Amino acid sequence: MDEIEPRLRALMLAGLAGEAEPYRRLLDQLSGLLRAYYGRRCPPGVDAEDLVQETLIAVHTRRATYDAGQPFTAWAYAIARYKLIDALRRGRAHLRAPVEAAEALFVAPGADAAMAGRDLERVMADLPARTRSLIRDVKLTGLSTREAAEKYGMTESAVKVAVHRGLKALGARYGGSDVDED
Amino acid sequence: MSTKTDALIHGLSLDLAPVVPGFVARRIALGLGLGGLGSVIVMLAWLGPRPDLAQAMLTPMFWMKVGYAAATGLMLALVLARLARPAARPGVLAAVAAAPFALVSLMAAARMAQAAPDAYRSLLMGHSSMICPWRILLVGLPILIGAVWAVRGLAPTRLVLSGLVAGGCAGALGAAVYAIACDETSAPFLAIWYTAGMALVAALGALGGSRLLRWR
Repeated sequence: MDEIEPRLRALMLAGLAGEAEPYRRLLDQLSGLLRAYYGRRCPPGVDAEDLVQETLIAVHTRRATYDAGQPFTAWAYAIARYKLIDALRRGRAHLRAPVEAAEALFVAPGADAAMAGRDLERVMADLPARTRSLIRDVKLTGLSTREAAEKYGMTESAVKVAVHRGLKALGARYGGSDVDED
Repeated sequence: MSTKTDALIHGLSLDLAPVVPGFVARRIALGLGLGGLGSVIVMLAWLGPRPDLAQAMLTPMFWMKVGYAAATGLMLALVLARLARPAARPGVLAAVAAAPFALVSLMAAARMAQAAPDAYRSLLMGHSSMICPWRILLVGLPILIGAVWAVRGLAPTRLVLSGLVAGGCAGALGAAVYAIACDETSAPFLAIWYTAGMALVAALGALGGSRLLRWR
């Protein structure tokens, strides 16, 4: 976020002055950010890519409303959220776009995944070592049950049972939704 | 990645006229100006200026009415110019826009404090209190139309609030126009009934905001 703001703002200011190349790069980077933003929030029945395009058009046709004294990220986020609300209304979905900080649109790509990985390590620390490495191999690395069985010298069904119990224990401890086993 | 989106981005970057500075302010000024012209025409054709306008213009009360309404309207126009931009906040300007009302209310209270009790009724109600707010509504309507035209061509993202401010601005400027036709002379009347007229237009703007100001 801290580096995105000055970078995008500089591209926007060049675009407002009529420079096509920086402006094309701005829209290009925005499209990636918007795709991630709508991908997670798009109402059912609406094509997220349509929303991305609509928002890019709005950014373009309304670009005169950007005030160089204001953060560009806040401006772009407000348009993105407005377009999301518009899509929700059009679909008459009884859903509401959550109010978030502008970071919702401007997180560095991959930050979510890295965070999830770190959380998972902390959560699994409570499990027995053997179960932990079984889950890691079968569920995260992608070993088949047979490969895992050979690696640990267990039968296939023993591997299945151990993984199942480990996940169940995690589910019981951390509550919320059921652990998806497949 | 989508090739269609890439093509769109390419097309948009080819259609890139430099943006003129002050675009937002000029569009709002144009909308309010054209609306104001319509408002003056409505006032002249329907009510006409007060017959004693020339003498009235020598009295402070006339300028207090025009001044209160016009100052409120101009400050709300500045707030509106902010709300017409995505992510903008009205900020302290919104509080400043209430200053003329606070001043007029103080003057009204002072006037009431020194009045004899049998003058209360005429000070508060004048002779047109029941029609004044409705006239301000009608005289302000062309300005509301101009304000809505201007703002929906920009990019408001808080539609109800923008509608409220557009209506308040149109009502206040409409009240300034109406002051040319109105011959009431008391500060309490001004504080109550002019403000009620402005509030009517503001309410209309807020009610219509999410529909009228929606842009694609």
